[in-house]
Amino acid sequence: MQKKRFGFASVIAATALVVSGLLVPSAHASNEIIVWADETRGPHLTKLIAAKGDWVPGYTIKIVTFSSYSALGDALAKATGTSGPDIFVGGNDWVVASAKTGKLAPVTLTASQKAQFTGGQLYDLSYGGKLYGVPLDINNVGMIYNTKLVPNAPKTFGDMVDFYKANKTKLGLKNGLCVTGGGLSWGGLSVFSALGADPYIMTPHGKVQTTYRFNPNVFGANMNKYLLDPVTHKSNGFWASSNTTCNDDFYTGKVPYSIIGNWEWQNYVDRGFAMNLQPVPSVTGGYGKMFGSVSGAFLTSYAALHGTAVGAKSLLVNLFASTAGQVAYEAIEGRPPAAKGAQSDPGVSDAQKGFGAAAALSSIPQIGVILGSNAGGSNYWDSSADYWTQTLINGKDAVVEARKLSKIWNADLAAVASQL
Amino acid sequence: MNKWVRENLWRHAVAIAVCIFSLFPLYLVILSSLKTTGSLQVSSFIPHEISFANYTYLFHSPKAPFLTWFRNSIVIASTVAISSVFIGAASAFAFSRLKFRGKRLGIRLLLLVQMFPAVLAISAVYVIMERVYTFAPKIGLGSQGGLILVYLGGSMGVNIWLLKGFVDSIPAELDEAAKIDGASSVQTYWLIFLPLATPVLAVVCLLSFIGTFNEFILARLFLVEMNGRTIAVGLQQFIGGQYASNWGPFAAGSILASIPIVIIFLSLQRFIVNGLTAGSVKG
Amino acid sequence: MSGIFRGKFALIAKIIFLGITTAIMALLTEHAFAQKQFVIGSFILVATLALNIVYLTKISIPFKFFLPGILFFFAFVIAPIFFTVQMSGYKYQTGNYLDKPAALEQVLILGAQPDAAGTTFDINVGKTPSNEYAILVSDITNNKYFISTKTQRTDVPKASLKFDANGVAIAAPNFTPISAIDLAKNDAYSKINYKYEGKYYIAIEGQNSGGVFRQELSYDAKTGVLTNTATGATYVDNHRGNFAKVGSPSEILNPGWRAPIWFENYSRLFSDPKIRIPLIRVFTWTFFFAGFTVLSTFGLGLLLAMALNRAMRGRRVYRSILILPYAMPSVMSILIWAGMFDSDFGAVNSILHTSVHWFQNPMLARGVVLLVNLWLGFPYFYLICSGSLQAIPNELMEAAAIDGANPRQVFRKITLPLLLQILSPLLIASFAFNFNNFNLIYLLTGGGPTQTLNGEIAGSTDILISYTYKIAFGNPNLQDFGLASAISVLIFLIVASISMYGLRRSKVMETFV
Repeated sequence: MQKKRFGFASVIAATALVVSGLLVPSAHASNEIIVWADETRGPHLTKLIAAKGDWVPGYTIKIVTFSSYSALGDALAKATGTSGPDIFVGGNDWVVASAKTGKLAPVTLTASQKAQFTGGQLYDLSYGGKLYGVPLDINNVGMIYNTKLVPNAPKTFGDMVDFYKANKTKLGLKNGLCVTGGGLSWGGLSVFSALGADPYIMTPHGKVQTTYRFNPNVFGANMNKYLLDPVTHKSNGFWASSNTTCNDDFYTGKVPYSIIGNWEWQNYVDRGFAMNLQPVPSVTGGYGKMFGSVSGAFLTSYAALHGTAVGAKSLLVNLFASTAGQVAYEAIEGRPPAAKGAQSDPGVSDAQKGFGAAAALSSIPQIGVILGSNAGGSNYWDSSADYWTQTLINGKDAVVEARKLSKIWNADLAAVASQL
Repeated sequence: MNKWVRENLWRHAVAIAVCIFSLFPLYLVILSSLKTTGSLQVSSFIPHEISFANYTYLFHSPKAPFLTWFRNSIVIASTVAISSVFIGAASAFAFSRLKFRGKRLGIRLLLLVQMFPAVLAISAVYVIMERVYTFAPKIGLGSQGGLILVYLGGSMGVNIWLLKGFVDSIPAELDEAAKIDGASSVQTYWLIFLPLATPVLAVVCLLSFIGTFNEFILARLFLVEMNGRTIAVGLQQFIGGQYASNWGPFAAGSILASIPIVIIFLSLQRFIVNGLTAGSVKG
Repeated sequence: MSGIFRGKFALIAKIIFLGITTAIMALLTEHAFAQKQFVIGSFILVATLALNIVYLTKISIPFKFFLPGILFFFAFVIAPIFFTVQMSGYKYQTGNYLDKPAALEQVLILGAQPDAAGTTFDINVGKTPSNEYAILVSDITNNKYFISTKTQRTDVPKASLKFDANGVAIAAPNFTPISAIDLAKNDAYSKINYKYEGKYYIAIEGQNSGGVFRQELSYDAKTGVLTNTATGATYVDNHRGNFAKVGSPSEILNPGWRAPIWFENYSRLFSDPKIRIPLIRVFTWTFFFAGFTVLSTFGLGLLLAMALNRAMRGRRVYRSILILPYAMPSVMSILIWAGMFDSDFGAVNSILHTSVHWFQNPMLARGVVLLVNLWLGFPYFYLICSGSLQAIPNELMEAAAIDGANPRQVFRKITLPLLLQILSPLLIASFAFNFNNFNLIYLLTGGGPTQTLNGEIAGSTDILISYTYKIAFGNPNLQDFGLASAISVLIFLIVASISMYGLRRSKVMETFV
């Protein structure tokens, strides 16, 4: 009886084995290049590849779209060679950690390919002297003003505050300024810088000026003068850093100025706003600095394990770093392309060019090593957001908090100065 | 009358007050789902305008295949709920009724393991499943099949523990009688125990369904394709940005997603109450 | 009916089911071994054997019930926990993620330095007559053309070449080009270093480009020493997961690897003030949060249960409304609450006509967290309490009432103690659940606000588990999985000992287990 059972079972097992053989195919072929992207870039890349898929002869391209930028980051942090992507598209702030951890592989560009990009852009995607990806597009902000409310472009930060105070009741303004592009820390740099606080500045030769320290007393005094109410010590209404409905208010004409990200302009154009872009004017009549960072397409060290390294490198060059590729991609994505050839291409919109011009006027590279440094007890991102909260919302003394902020930024910069 | 007031007034007062507390956010979310603007701002408790713009957006936006997400959630959660109860009930029966060596130890171990914070285990699960992907993509990383397997494993402990409580509350006389009749344990399980325990199993099934429906941390790592996502991942992504304007569709989506669950829950509430208390109340 | 389970039918059904399962699992095993996933393959193999042995023999009756559950439990619960515990003894953080062989491989890859000019060439890949991979290199700037293999480089006169429109050589004698399509099928050619000048070689940097490199780092497997041939510097394993320069140990090479550091992650919890101070604060809040939640949800639930503990008009309606928060999927309701407390578009401010920044103030944010958790949790205790109240024999209370006790005394002396005794396992379970209530914190406040300007590292509403998550997966530059694992183990010890103590005291262990 027992023997019969086993015999019977093995017959069925054999049949099922054949059947299930059809159900369990093997993993992806080695001439498929896998590209990971977030929820906005993913669909755009998919569209691009659907229109033209033969960027690298002999290879197919598969785009994997994550539900958010942070989900993409989480997955990258956990992925190993087994399932990791060959290429991923992301901000330059991931370079340091990913390179240190061995998830990125170096890329070598030819002289003519390099010439398409500025030294700063390539530096942004490098760590320890090695380049890990190709610059894809530029991320920066621009300030637009509602021409129905504001007749002329403001010359100084004070002009904007004065306009807000003078017309608050007349025009029913809710606030004077929104920072919708990139949040309090990234987009908010323009406000910091316009009022006299920079985390670091560059020398004319494009190096970080490691001895620079901002003056917390001057900056704090400017905060009191322009942004804070003398009585409550909280926001005077010109900029309410926490206003989550601010862009809605801008659309409806209740806010005259807005700092927007270069990936958002289409929303504004669709609503009939002219792309009258400029950097945020500073208190002294110059411009506040903004981050001009690049997003890149990065080569992972997994590509070599998958046997697709050559294909992935070629895809970087043929699609992501090429004029034709960037023009085609940015026609869908809408950011200013990074390559010089693509920037001057007639296919690039005026708004994209406008952001490019604003960045040229007043931007600093976004240097991840400094901004992510935690030596002072916190990094730029967390401490700058907290500064706005503590002053504009919680009404703490602007000068006292500015001293704490400067202590953190100085320590962060000092700790990494030798790596720059 | 006076006596009624003394004895019942406070009861109604308490009940009504807490009812308002429990309805407050739900009412507001319904109100804001019926507005045209996207925010949750509510200026009055009576709607001035009723618009279904947010609902139509859900069904027509290519950015949010709401129905597909919803179907994914239902498929994943019900597969997990049914299979895990099916597998878990057998173990619970064994823990409750059979005598064997190491039973005490086994139960304590099960209880202890529940207390290990699972958040970090995600990394290990991720690595396991990406390896599985290399030889069986359908049940590896990125597949709903793989996610179901992981959920099954994760829900096993809780379900066995819950079910054991319920099983203990079912009188043992019946299956002991069966045993005297000469039935084996396996037969007792199938013939006597399962039919008796059906209501209890249904309750655990439902709780497990809701638990799975709610999970998003693993789901957002596992289900990367737009059409493969669950409702929790999809809707969370809606409001992941800093813009207030997505709250309207989010409100509409969460209402639609909740309705079936709330209906099942309310219609089974008597069983659920009995089930929840059965495990604990043995005097 | 019973015949079905005793007769041939049951046997056949079992064998068919087992046969199919065995077949699928056997196939998976085979695939796993084919893909060199030996650990997982062995696990599936053992599972397959175990299933067949248990269900085809009478070796153990309990195992017939347990086995599927145990297999799942082991694969997705025990194994990951084991991994976490193991990693708590490792330096496993940003920069130290790989295992040692993989890290060494990467270090060596990064040790290939381009020549000073960063020279690149246009190339075409093909084969020599001896069937060896070769590249046809066009050095257009110097007007030089050559064919390189792994071992030798042969200059080719320009006259014998064919060119494409860009002046790149595409055909030469003794060189059979391989099409791009064929190259994509096998990338063996790309792993070869093609001969150039002296120590320099040409590496494939794309389908049609190559770069000039020199391997500057060399590894001696016997001594374990890495030498930079350009500078003469040597590097050795510092036993902390990196190669460090001899004579200057702070200069390390990236990437590093996960290295065992035994109990250092645990000792850092106590010795490093940057870890200890936030941890103590988070720990205190976690206890308060879990304790307060249990008390408040139980209190409100009990009050409701008492209020509705008799036949009265509208009880069914009340009950249906009251359990709504429990029935709603909690992911949705937590996010809804988060939106409602938003300072600008939230309903709470617009109804109160205030503009309070709920999530920017530590105390307010904590208050919101507690309130939302009360909303989420009270229906459960309401259901439990009303069930339990009915289970308390009425005679007890009636007897007390006859003895002259007023309702309050009956409640305090009889009902409450009895309830607490009955419900203590559930209260403890609720405490344990809330102690690790990750979803609530993650979705509602994200742990914030964090007053970084005042030196805070953890957020005001961070509980241990959400703080641990931040340490492990937060700021990409500072992820520390080893430390997070150590905190997890600590959390486990705390929760487990509290629960065990509580259960033992309530004597549930004896009756229940």
